[in-house]
Formats: sequence, structure tokens, C-alpha cells
Amino acid sequence: MSKSKIAVAITIGIMSFMMIYVMLIQISIASDDDREEIEFLRETELKDLLASYKERYEETNEKIVEAKNKIDEYEKDEKSEEDTVALLEEEVKQAKMLLGYTDVVGEGVIVTMENNVIYGEEESAIVRASDLIELINELKLAGAEAISINDERIISRTDIFDVVPPLIHINGQRKASPFVIKAIGDINYLESALKIKGGFIDSYTLNNYKISIESKQEITINKYEGELTLNYINKEEVKK
Amino acid sequence: MIILAIVIGCILGVILGINAPTISYIYSDYLAISIVAALDSVFGGITATLKNNFDFKIFVTGFFGNAILSILLAFLGNKLNVDIYLAAIVVFVGRMFNNLTIIRRFYLEKWTQMKAKKAEIAKEQSKE
Repeated sequence: MSKSKIAVAITIGIMSFMMIYVMLIQISIASDDDREEIEFLRETELKDLLASYKERYEETNEKIVEAKNKIDEYEKDEKSEEDTVALLEEEVKQAKMLLGYTDVVGEGVIVTMENNVIYGEEESAIVRASDLIELINELKLAGAEAISINDERIISRTDIFDVVPPLIHINGQRKASPFVIKAIGDINYLESALKIKGGFIDSYTLNNYKISIESKQEITINKYEGELTLNYINKEEVKK
Repeated sequence: MIILAIVIGCILGVILGINAPTISYIYSDYLAISIVAALDSVFGGITATLKNNFDFKIFVTGFFGNAILSILLAFLGNKLNVDIYLAAIVVFVGRMFNNLTIIRRFYLEKWTQMKAKKAEIAKEQSKE
């Protein structure tokens, strides 16, 4: 057997190996359900995906109902007092985090909005309270769990309004550009909600605003500095 | 020898391919098109062998060159927002069908010739 024949055989063997190998990889990709790159899917695939997500949503909803029932049981059950205490403590902790009483850490995005003043031109862009409110609403819609603007925690009683432009009142504090909006939540959801075509960042960069977005695995959001008091709400629970 | 090499390559490919790491869905277009290009080269090689003008160098360079070039074209198309990979698939699959037709005709002709020969032999035998 000559050398060249052996070389030919080896080359052909390598070629067939590569082809089968790549084919199997491709098959495994094509049959992979865990597809996340929504941008690259076709319409029918998107529909399928949507349907499967709806199913999952319903399943999760059922699980939530189950979990709530369990919590009710715990609350009724006097025997497992320790469990109840632990559960209540956990609940209080979470409620405090949600209310903004504690500093929180998590993955999320940082959006920076800046005034873009061009002297002598009418098209200078100044960040107004309404812009910030729109951004916050977008973030909340995308599932943000904690938001702050220039380290002012956004809570249920936060006020945002224009004072003398370009100053903006947030939580009773005067804040000026640049505005750094931090939000903790699913990075993918938050980013895509803002970056979508015709979305928040698109429309604001079109209007000459200086705006940038950055995602981080660890963002710290400060607690709410003020005090929440109940003066007018009756402290008894409303009985249904 | 060559057939043995093909079999070994295929078996190795299956063994390693089943345990292969999954690659992001983004690259599936490129992989698919490279597979089609390689298959096209294989059928081209078979056709060339039948026509007796098979050249190993042309075969190997076509196999890898077509696959890589088609991936590059698909990538370019993706950047330009034109579905170039569709055009490449049309060309490659069209050529594959052409080659398949040639292969089919070759074997069909062989078969009919063999039948005709057998019939002739049978005729001569019956005359005797």
C-alpha cells in the first residue's frame, strides 16, 4: 500500500468524522428547547415558544396558589409555632426589603441620563420628571424589584416632580443631572425592555438625550432614608 | 481501505458528536449551511468518480473551502441583513440534485445494459 493511498484514506476518514460530528451538533441544537435568543427565531417558532411559556405561566400560577394555601395553613396551625415564627420573620424581612427599609444587592442595570444642553439651539434636551417617571414605569413593567435614582430609593410614596428646571425633586430632595437610575431585576428583561426598537432608549437618543445603559451582576441600592408614618390610616385591619 | 476510513470516521463522529457540547442557537444557521456545503462536495466527488475525472485535491479543497466560504457568506449576509444563506442553500441543494440525477442515470444505464446483455446471452443459448 503506497503512502499516498494511506494519506487519502486518513483525510477521508477525518472528513467523514467532521461531517458526522457537525451534523450531530446541529441536530442537538435544532432539537434544543432551551432557546433564549429570541431575536433570531422565526415567527412560527416564536408562537410555539409563546404557547409553551403560557403553559409554564399557568403551571407556576397553580404552584403559587398551592404555596399560598400552605402559608395559610401554617398561620392557622398553632402546633408548629417555630415554623410560623420563622415564616413570619422571613416575611417581615422580605416586606422590609420591598418597602425599601434595607439596602439590597442583586443583578440589574444602571441607566444614566444626562442633560444635553446645546447653547444657542432649541433642541437641547433636559431631563424632566416625566422622563424619569416613564423610565421607572418601564423598569417596573420589566419586573424591577428595587429602583433608585441618584441613590434615592423609589418606594410607593416617592414623589418625583420638576422644581426649577433642570432640578428635580425626588423623595423631597433636589437632584440634578446626571441621573443614575439603578434597578435590580432580571438583566435580560430589563435590558430588552429598554433597548427594544422604538423603546425608551431609542426614542430618547433620537431626541438628543445622552443616555447609556450598563448591566451588572451586583448592584447595591440604598435604603429609603426618610421615615414612613401612618397618621391617617386606621391601624385596625379592615374586615371584609 | 478508504471504506474502512469512512466507517471509522463515522463511528468516531457519532461517539463524540452525541456527547458534544451544545452551541448557541445563533450559530445553527452557519452549521447547517456548512453541512449542506460539505454534502454537496461529497455528491460532487461521487459524480466525478463515475465520470472518471475525480481529483482528490479538488475534492478536499472543495469540501473545506465551500463549507468555510458559505459560513463567511452567511455571516456577511447576517451583517447586511440579507438572507444570503438561503441563496447558498438553494445553490448547494440544486447542485446536489443535479449530481444525484447524474448518479442515478449512470447506474440506471448500467442496469439496463446488464439486462440487455443477459437477454442476448439467453437468446444465443436458446438458439443453440
